[in-house]
Amino acid sequence: MDYLLHILVMVALYAILAGSFNLLIGFSGLFALSHAAFFGVGAYTTAILATSWGLPFPWPLFAGIAIAALVGLAIGLPALRVGGEYLVIITLALQIIAVAVMLNWTSLTGGTQGIGNVPRVWIGDLPLDTAGRFLPLAVAVAALSLWCAWRLGASPFGRALRAMRENEAAAQAVGKNVVAMKLLVFAISAGIASVAGGLYAHYIAFVSAVSFTIETTIYILAMVILGGTGNLAGSVLGAAILVVLPELLKFVDLPPDIADKLRQVMYGVILIVMLRLRPEGLLPEHDAKRARVPAGLGEGGLGPLAPPSAADGSVTVEGRDLMKSFGGIVAVQDFSIDLRRGRIVGLIGPNGAGKTTAFNLLTGFLRPNAGGVRFRGETVSGRAPHAIVRAGMARSFQDLKLFRKMTVLDNVRVALPNQRGDRLFDVYFRPWVVKAEERENLNRAMAVLRFVGLEAQAGELAENLSYAEEKLLVIARLLATGAEVLLFDEPLSGLDPGTMEGIFPIIRRLAEQGKTICIIEHNLDVIRGLCDWAVFLDEGRKIAEGTPETLIADPVLAERYFK
Amino acid sequence: MTRLSILATAAMIALAGTAGAQEPPKDPPVIKIGAIFAMSGQASWYGQVMSQGMRQAVDEINAKGGVDGIKLEAVIEDHKGAGGAEGVAAINRLMSIHGTKIVLTSFTGPTLGIAPIADQNNIFLINGGGVGVKMVGASKYIVHNRSLSSDLALGALQVAQNMGLKKMGQLHWKNDVGDYIVSSVEPVWKKGGGSIVATEAVPQGATNMDTQVAKIRAASPDVIGMWMFTPEVGLAIKRVREFGMKQPVIGVEFTANDAKVAGATAEGFLYINDYFKPSDDQPWSKQFAADYEKRWGKAPEFYAANYYEGVYLAAELVKRSRKKGGDYINGERLKAALYENPKVDSVYGGQMTFQPNGVAQKRVALFKVKDGKGEFQEFVQIK
Amino acid sequence: MDLVLQLFVNGVINGSHYALLGVGFGIIFGPTKITHFAYGPIFAIGAYGCWATATMLGLPVAAAAVCGVLAAVLAGVLSYLWLYRPFERRGSSHLVVLIASLGLFITLENLIGILFGTDTKVIPDISPGIFLWGPVVVTSIQLWQVAALAIVALLLFAFLRWARHGKALMAMTDNGEMAQIIGIDTVRVSLIAFAVGSAVAAVPAILILLKEGATPHMGFIAVFMAFVAVIVGGIGSFKGAIIGGYAVGIVENLGMWKLPTEWQSTIAFVVLFLILLFRPSGLFGRRLR
Repeated sequence: MDYLLHILVMVALYAILAGSFNLLIGFSGLFALSHAAFFGVGAYTTAILATSWGLPFPWPLFAGIAIAALVGLAIGLPALRVGGEYLVIITLALQIIAVAVMLNWTSLTGGTQGIGNVPRVWIGDLPLDTAGRFLPLAVAVAALSLWCAWRLGASPFGRALRAMRENEAAAQAVGKNVVAMKLLVFAISAGIASVAGGLYAHYIAFVSAVSFTIETTIYILAMVILGGTGNLAGSVLGAAILVVLPELLKFVDLPPDIADKLRQVMYGVILIVMLRLRPEGLLPEHDAKRARVPAGLGEGGLGPLAPPSAADGSVTVEGRDLMKSFGGIVAVQDFSIDLRRGRIVGLIGPNGAGKTTAFNLLTGFLRPNAGGVRFRGETVSGRAPHAIVRAGMARSFQDLKLFRKMTVLDNVRVALPNQRGDRLFDVYFRPWVVKAEERENLNRAMAVLRFVGLEAQAGELAENLSYAEEKLLVIARLLATGAEVLLFDEPLSGLDPGTMEGIFPIIRRLAEQGKTICIIEHNLDVIRGLCDWAVFLDEGRKIAEGTPETLIADPVLAERYFK
Repeated sequence: MTRLSILATAAMIALAGTAGAQEPPKDPPVIKIGAIFAMSGQASWYGQVMSQGMRQAVDEINAKGGVDGIKLEAVIEDHKGAGGAEGVAAINRLMSIHGTKIVLTSFTGPTLGIAPIADQNNIFLINGGGVGVKMVGASKYIVHNRSLSSDLALGALQVAQNMGLKKMGQLHWKNDVGDYIVSSVEPVWKKGGGSIVATEAVPQGATNMDTQVAKIRAASPDVIGMWMFTPEVGLAIKRVREFGMKQPVIGVEFTANDAKVAGATAEGFLYINDYFKPSDDQPWSKQFAADYEKRWGKAPEFYAANYYEGVYLAAELVKRSRKKGGDYINGERLKAALYENPKVDSVYGGQMTFQPNGVAQKRVALFKVKDGKGEFQEFVQIK
Repeated sequence: MDLVLQLFVNGVINGSHYALLGVGFGIIFGPTKITHFAYGPIFAIGAYGCWATATMLGLPVAAAAVCGVLAAVLAGVLSYLWLYRPFERRGSSHLVVLIASLGLFITLENLIGILFGTDTKVIPDISPGIFLWGPVVVTSIQLWQVAALAIVALLLFAFLRWARHGKALMAMTDNGEMAQIIGIDTVRVSLIAFAVGSAVAAVPAILILLKEGATPHMGFIAVFMAFVAVIVGGIGSFKGAIIGGYAVGIVENLGMWKLPTEWQSTIAFVVLFLILLFRPSGLFGRRLR
C-alpha cells in the first residue's frame, strides 16, 4: 500500500516540477535547462532551515520560494540577451554550476554528505512520516502550485507569454514589456519548482546534490514534451506516465541479471513510440473546444476610435533629421517626416531605400544615431518599443509576424491596451476585476474582427488563415492596440486587386475617424488611391514629398522609378 | 492500527520471546530477502556484482533446504545509483508488495532515504558496500559487514608511516565516502609527522584524471594515497604510472575490474582491505570462490563476497531468532539475535565481530599487487 | 612552471578530444538541426565495436578500429532512418525530436550494458609508449588523440570543400530551405551527415577505449562535451567546433593550476557562461538577426 502511495507522492512532486517547467518552455518558449537547480534550491533551503534553524513547516518552503525566485531572476538575465540553442547551453552551464556549488559549499550544504534527518512536517501531533500521511499534503500543495501556474497560463499575462513565444518583436509591437515578462516568468517558474523541492526534503528526509543534476532536468523536460507543451494538464499527465511507467515495468518478470536494464530499454522505446503517435504531446495546446467562440459578440461595433476633434490634420508625429548606420553603412540619413491626424502618408521608394528602417526608428525598434522623434510634442526616441506603443504609436511588420499558434481572436485580444490581466497582482488577488475585463475585451476584440471582416475565423489558429486573411489580421491586431498612430509596413503587398479593394475602405475609415496613418507601399495605385501625402525615399534619403499626384507627375522621379 | 502500536506489539512479542513464554514461531511460506542495488545507470557494475553474490548465497542455502526448512527468495530492486527518492521507491515496493523485513542495501544516498522507513517499519538492513560515516547508525537496524572505509584508510596510513614516508599526495573520489576519508586521514597523518602536499578530487565516474595526476606529480609526494573505488582505482594507478611516477601508491580497494584496467601498471600497488584468501586453510572462502567462478565465469569481487555473506548473516540471524518463536523476522528481533552473540561466521574466513555501532570487525590486511592479483602481505591492526 | 606546461599539454590533448567530438556532433547538427543525444551511445558503440572485434575475434587493433568505426556508422545511419527520419517527415518540432533522441539514448546505453556487461572493457596488453619532454609527460595514445584530430579535420575539410556531397552538406548547414530549393536531396545529405558524424565520433571513442577503457555510460560525458564544444565555437562553424573544443580543454586544465580540482567540471561551464554572455552566438557563430 505504501508503495502505491509513495508513487502518488512522487507523481504530485513531479507534476509541480513539470507544470512549472511548462510555464517556461511551453508558454514562454524559453528553453532553459536549469529546472532541477530550482528544485534543488527549494530542497536545500528547506533542509537547511528545518534542520539547522529548526524552522517549522511551511516557513522554509516560503523561504525556498523566495530564494529560488531570486536564482530564477539571475538565470533569467542571460535569457534577455540570448535565445534558442544558446539559452539552452547557458542555462545548462548554470545548472552544472549550481550542482557544483551544492557539492562544494560544504559548510552550508553538507557537501557530498548531503543533509540528513530533515524533520518531518507535523500537523498537530501527527508527524507526516509515511507516504500515506504525506500524500494529502503533497496533493494539496501540488494542486495549489498547479493552480498558480494554471491561473498564470490562462490569464491575459499567459496570453502575452504565448505571444512572446510566437514572436518577440511582435509582442513588443503590441505593447508588451518582454524583458519584464521573461524575468517574471523565470522567477515564478523557479518559485513553484522550489515548492516541490521543499516537499521532497521533508518527505525523503535526506537531500543530496545527485537528485538535482542535469539528468533530473532532462527527466522533467521529457514529462513536459510528452504531455504536450503549453498545456498544464499535459504536464500532469506526462509526470504521471513517466513516474508510473518504470514502476509498472517492474511487474514484468525478466531474468534478474538484466531485468532493470531491459526495463530501461522498454522505457526508452515506449517514450519514442508515444512521441511517434502523438508528436504534439499527449495533450496538445489547442483543442477544438477551447477555440470555439460564442456567437453574437462585438455586434455593437467599435464605437468612436479617436477623440471627437479628430481628423483635423494637426501634426502628431514629427521625425527630425533621423540617421542610422550599421557598421559604417548608412541606412537612413537626414530623414524628417510629419504625420498628421486623419491623414494617410505613404512612404515609397525602391527596395533597400530604408523605408523599414525609418519605421524602426520611428517606433523605437532601432535607436537613431542622430535626430529624434516627437509624438504629441514629447520626445519618444530612446524609449523601449513597448513604451512607445503604449503611448499611442504602433506598427505592423512587412513579414506579418503573426502569433501563428494562437487563435485569430487571441491575436487580437493580446493586443488590446492597458490590460489589468497583464499585472500579476490583479491576476492572483483581484481575479474578478480581470474576469470582468476579459468579458469586455472579448467583446471588443470581436468588434475589431468584425471591423476587418474576420469574425467568422475568430476561433481558427492564425497559421491556418489564407494570405489575405493574414493581412486583415495584421490590420486588426494593429487596430486593437488602440494606438492613435498606425504605421503599416506593406499592408497590401502580394494581394490580388479584388482583395485590395476590400482593404482600402478599412484604412480610409480609420483615417476618417481620426487615426494618424503611415504606410509603406510599392504599388503606385495604392499610393494614388489611398494616400493624402507621399514621401519618397531612396538610399536612405528623402528625395521628394508631396501629394501622390505631384510625385508621380515629377519627371525626374518618373524617369528613374516609375517606368 | 498505527505504526507505533505495531512497533509496540513487535517489541512486546520480542520481550515475551525473551521472557521464555514461548509462542510458536510464525513461519512465512518463504523468507523474502530484499535488495536495493544500482542495477542500471552509471554504477550498474556494482549492482551486477552485488546481486550475483546475493543470488548465489540464496540458491546455496535453498539447495541445502533453506532456513529451518523455509526457502529464501531474493527480490532485487534498482536504485540506479541515484539519490534518496529512488531508495524510498524501492523499499516501499519491497514492503508493500513483498512484505520484506530484511533488506540488503548499498550506496549512501538511497540508504539514507531508506533508513527512516526501515526504522518505522522494523526492517533489518545489511550494507556490504562502501561505508561512509553517515551510513553508520543511519537506522536503528542497520549493520555493515564491511569495515568502515575510513578505518581502511587509517590502516593504509599506518603502513605508509611504517615505511617511513612523510609527504602524501591524495587522489580521492568526490563523493561522501571519498570526502570522509580525506577528512579523517588528515589529522592522523599530520599527527604522525607527515605532511599532505596535494589533495585532488575526481568525480565518481570520471575517467579523465590527467589534471589531478599532473598536480600530484608537480607536488612531488613520496607516497600517494588513493581514496577511490573501482574502476577509478585501476585507472588512477595506470595514469600515475604513465606519468612516470614511481612512488608507492596505497589505497583501500582493488578489484578484478581495476586489475583489468590497470594491467601491468598495477604491479606493486598496495591496498588495505578485509582479508580474503580462497585457500585450503579457508575452506568456505575457497568453496565460495570456486562456485562463484563456475557460475558467473569470473572470480568474485569483494562486493560479491560481501553480499553473499550478507545473505548468510541474515539466514543465521533468522535461525537464531526463530528459536524464540513468535513473529521473528523483523529488525528488532534480528538485531537482538545478532547482539546475543556478535560473532558470526564470515566467508572471509573465521568469524567477524559486530561492534556496537553496527560495523563488523573483520581481519584487515595489507595486500600488494603481483601479476594482477593482490598478494597477502600482513595483517594490520588498526589503532 | 613545470606544472603549467604539463597542464597546458594536457589541455591541448583533452582539447583535441573535445574538438573531435564537437566536429562529429557539429557535422550532424549543422545540416539536420537534430540535437542528437544518442550521439553518446553511438560513440560508445564505436568503442565497443572495436573492443568486441579485437578481443572476441582476435583482430589486430587497427583492423578492429575500422570495425568500430563501421559499427558506429551503421548505428548512426540506422538511427536516422528509423528514428529521426519518420519524425522529420511528420514535421515534428525540434523539442519532440530531442526527447525521442533521449529515448534512443536510454535504449542504446542499456542495450550495451545488457550485451556486454557493465565492467570496464579494455584491450589487454596495450602498453602505450611514454615520452618525457623535459618536465612534460605524454603517452603515445595521447599523441594519437592530437594526431587524430589533425587527420580527421584535414579529411573533413577536403570533403566539405571539394566533394559534391560535402558541398551540399555545407549548403544545408547554411540554409536548409534554400538547399532544398536549389535541388539538394536533403534526406541523402542527412544520411551522409549521420554516417560521417558517427564515423568521426568513433575515432575518439576508440582512443578512449585504449586510454581509459570502455563502459556503457561513457557516451554521456562525450555527447555533453561535444555539444559544449559546438556551442562555444558557434553553431554551423566547423572551425568553431575545433576551437571551442580546444578552449574548453585548455581552460579546464590550466584553470586548475591554482584552483582545487573539485571545481574542474565546473570551470569550463563558467567560462562558457561568460563567453555566451558577451558573444551570444559563440566564438564563430553567425550573428542571429
